[in-house]
Amino acid sequence: MQVNDQIDFVRQHIKKNKLRVFMTILAATMGTAFLIVLASVGFGIHDTLRNEILDNRLINQIEVYSSEMDLAKVEKLKKREHVKAVVFRQSVSINQQSELDGFIGSHNMTVTEFQEEAKAGFALQEGRLPENEYEVVVGNDFAENLIELNTVDREAEPSTYKGSLIGKQFTYKMGLYEEKELFPEKITLTIVGVAKEPAKDWIMDFNIYADAAIMPDLTRIFTSHVDDENSELFYGNVNVYAENLENVTAVSKALKDEGYSVYSIADQLEQLDVFFLAFKAGLVFVGTIAILIASIGIFNTMTMAVTERTREIGVMKAIGASPKLIQRLFLMESAWIGILGTIIAVIISYGVSFIANMVLPIIVSAALGEEEIASMDITFSIIPWQLVIIASAISITVAMISGWRPARKATKIDVIQALRQEL
Amino acid sequence: MIQVQELTHSFKIGKKGKERQVPVLKGLSFAIKEGEIVSIVGRSGSGKSTLLHILAGFLKPDAGIIQIGDVRTSAFSEAESAKFRLDHFGFIFQNFQLMPGLTAFENVELPLKLAGVAKKIRREKVQQLLQLVGLTEVQDHYPNELSGGQQQRVSIARALITDPPIIFADEPTGSLDSETEQDILLLIQSLNKTRGITFIIITHDDTVAETADRVYKMHDGELTEGGVGHAS
Repeated sequence: MQVNDQIDFVRQHIKKNKLRVFMTILAATMGTAFLIVLASVGFGIHDTLRNEILDNRLINQIEVYSSEMDLAKVEKLKKREHVKAVVFRQSVSINQQSELDGFIGSHNMTVTEFQEEAKAGFALQEGRLPENEYEVVVGNDFAENLIELNTVDREAEPSTYKGSLIGKQFTYKMGLYEEKELFPEKITLTIVGVAKEPAKDWIMDFNIYADAAIMPDLTRIFTSHVDDENSELFYGNVNVYAENLENVTAVSKALKDEGYSVYSIADQLEQLDVFFLAFKAGLVFVGTIAILIASIGIFNTMTMAVTERTREIGVMKAIGASPKLIQRLFLMESAWIGILGTIIAVIISYGVSFIANMVLPIIVSAALGEEEIASMDITFSIIPWQLVIIASAISITVAMISGWRPARKATKIDVIQALRQEL
Repeated sequence: MIQVQELTHSFKIGKKGKERQVPVLKGLSFAIKEGEIVSIVGRSGSGKSTLLHILAGFLKPDAGIIQIGDVRTSAFSEAESAKFRLDHFGFIFQNFQLMPGLTAFENVELPLKLAGVAKKIRREKVQQLLQLVGLTEVQDHYPNELSGGQQQRVSIARALITDPPIIFADEPTGSLDSETEQDILLLIQSLNKTRGITFIIITHDDTVAETADRVYKMHDGELTEGGVGHAS
């Protein structure tokens, strides 16, 4: 029998019992949709947590701490295998002030090597990276912290700098927190770039990013005013960037072995991924129980179909239908129920997932009375294609297994007994 | 064409553990020539239907040999039997055994579908046969919309559709009135003459038996040749 004739045959039989088949498909749909939506919550929470961890940080970043970190050690780190970049950022730990076109503000300076920053993926909103010691990149919120001099002491709303920053020059001064006056030495710096906005809304970036070449100038000013040998102008942290995600574990392990304190997001993510893998597997398992319950319906429908069609099966066998063909026709019927149920379930699940992601944040924020939750990027449900494949495979396999026994029963129908059945 | 040797069969009856064997066919041996109409007559329970079921491969004999042409069909598996039936046998049943959900056309077409014949060829063959049995007008009717005679004609067309060399007819006129019975018997005789098909007719009706070239009488599981039916 040709395949299209087999499909036609199955279609005709399904048409005969529309309501019963519809109810069975509905059960299969509900079971599969339950599995997909349930597991999608696991995927959604996993994704939300991953994004929370990854926000503003790079997956291949390894934070390295050492009490005796210096440039020599940084240079050694750069030469390690599988290391793409080593960024040694040093912050100025002193009172600082910037002045630009009659606007003043307090901005911390971070000194770094832009060659390494570029390799690590330092992102600019506009402009370029500095090319000499008096060029700087400023944080995205730099202007927010520049207040018009005339309005500083007034009670009225202070006016902040609104103009473009690229190409602007400003003066940078340092001083001690305990002294009212700043050091008189000024350094004139040119803004050549503005850093990209931090991924998290609540983080403000007021920093000035200057090249390490400016360090001698800063040190000279500092030492000319401060005699204390124990006070340090800079404190730094080192971020090592592995070539790719696969190397993160190897690099961080090697650094640990050498006595560095190491933290990488990849380590944290690995633990998180393992936990969520188990969690999602658990959800799929619970969802599969719903499909198994639906499979009872498929089993019943197919058993009824075989019983009702005993005489027809007998006639088909009598005129030459092979047992294999009979079995295939019934398996196709149960598979069809599974396939149609799965397709409808996938469509419904995407709809439910979309609505859940739209409505649930509003409900949760209303219930908790916190607007921040609504503005946060929480994803309650995600349906990746892998989940659709897993759910479809489970649903269709279970449908076919449910139809297996009735199909076998159909092949075993005795022709003589079947032909004796009353019409 | 059909050679049967020492064919025996018995049924188990009674409760499990207390079953007993009831012999139904007791070592039958006979032969049927190609192009013959043979009728097997006998009373109810004589074993004639069991003989047909075994010859058709619906049932496995306890012992004995059935040879059709060069093929020993008694050694077939269920799947082999089904394939052989599709290619070599046609069936006409007392209750017509048409598929209620299929039209007259689709019922006749069914064996060709099972054989995997292309749609275009199927359509042509079915049209020809429906014309032969005079049912072109009602080809789109379902079995419950047809008279008994029309249903039996559909059944005959279905039996002929694969051009089988042998057609088994189990009480082919058992459900028909005498006038329709005559029409069907004439059709069988005509098909036998024009197409050379071998007909094996199981009946308890002497009128039907008389249309055969040869009549076998079945009595208590034994077969005796009862002589020639109509003059051929």
